[in-house]
Amino acid sequence: MLCLQGIEGDMIVLSWMYPRAARWTLTRNKIQGQEGVTLLVEEIDSDEDEEQETEQNSEPMPRVIDSLNIPSRKIYCLDLRIHKEAGVYLQEIKRISEEAKITIIEPTLENVTGKEPSDAQESNGKAPGQPVIIKEETKRRWYPVIDMSRCTNCMECIDFCLFGVYGVDHTETILVEQPDDCRKGCPACSRVCPENAILFPQHKSPAIAGSADVLENLKIDLSKLFGAPEADAVDVAVRERDEQLMLVGRDAVGHDVGLERRQIERDDTKKDELDHLIEQLDEFDL
Amino acid sequence: MSLVFHMGTFEAVFPIDRLYAKNHMWALEREDGLRFGFAAYAVRLLQDVYFLDWDISADMDVREGMQIGDIESSKAESSLHAPLTGKILRINNALLKDPSAINVDKYDEGWLFEIAADTTPLLEASEYLQHLEAVWEVTQKTIKGQLNE
Repeated sequence: MLCLQGIEGDMIVLSWMYPRAARWTLTRNKIQGQEGVTLLVEEIDSDEDEEQETEQNSEPMPRVIDSLNIPSRKIYCLDLRIHKEAGVYLQEIKRISEEAKITIIEPTLENVTGKEPSDAQESNGKAPGQPVIIKEETKRRWYPVIDMSRCTNCMECIDFCLFGVYGVDHTETILVEQPDDCRKGCPACSRVCPENAILFPQHKSPAIAGSADVLENLKIDLSKLFGAPEADAVDVAVRERDEQLMLVGRDAVGHDVGLERRQIERDDTKKDELDHLIEQLDEFDL
Repeated sequence: MSLVFHMGTFEAVFPIDRLYAKNHMWALEREDGLRFGFAAYAVRLLQDVYFLDWDISADMDVREGMQIGDIESSKAESSLHAPLTGKILRINNALLKDPSAINVDKYDEGWLFEIAADTTPLLEASEYLQHLEAVWEVTQKTIKGQLNE
């Protein structure tokens, strides 16, 4: 990450994660940039006649991303799980570099040892032309990542999580403060997030791991409407949290902790007479 | 004669010659039992059905709410649950090969299964419409709230 933080220009990052998860993991690590659009996307069974039936009546909510000062450089995140062939990635990297109109400087003896340092390559003190291979054992880490383009800073997650994973920065904006305190396998906070803004890059369910497929082409599960026993996302989240609490020898808290805000907000959003009056005023062309 | 329920701009039509179960199935009394199928409300939510599978077979006893099968359409998927307690008499095997009758002829050729059971827990069309009034909001929330799961 330190190495990536040193790169200033456009960047292509290849990882075994959904691009959305990769992008927001980088953002959390202060590696920010605009979303670069890659043509390498996961295959999505899409029906072209897809019409959006569930119209959003509510006003657009301010998102945390609006208050972030994101630099104009682009970060392209490519998912290494899409193709087995390396060539596909090389082709896409070439395409992106064409698009970004930057010249790729091959690491030759001249430009690595030369006086003009290129911004695409950093000299590493090793023999010129040799890539650095970091021999670090890759452990599977489990942590949440917040998609700031969806997050509204509502604080449901910080209230719900009882393991101290979330915190706020100096501007009172939510952040994942202690990712390693997160309980492995528990995605409960992502279930209670009203904006579906919390990702767990390593979760088995594509929805929670940040797949674009799920966001755009979700199959609606009608089981509950057709008679399946009731168990909504909040119930599942409460059960998962209790399991984790008990695993570390704490008491289960059920629905009693961290869900109040949800109830209060719900009442607050009801429009009263004054709201209607103000809306009528807004309609006048003053 | 039919009753109409408005699902947004869509008009869901419910014939009054039959009864309805709260899990959005219609029930028509036959000689030896009740024939069930999807009511317009369910079909509208599902839209184009392309897969139907049963866990049940003839002569099997089912309890109300018990999972009896699965269905999938281009937009949705769902487990299927018994509308009431009773014994399965027969299943509409034609639908297993081609479930499209569920969409094109839901109140006749698109029937699902027959159960030998008492009609007591079922609703008249007018009562079912009241039930729909009550659940329509929850239905919309379920559809909109899916991303949180």
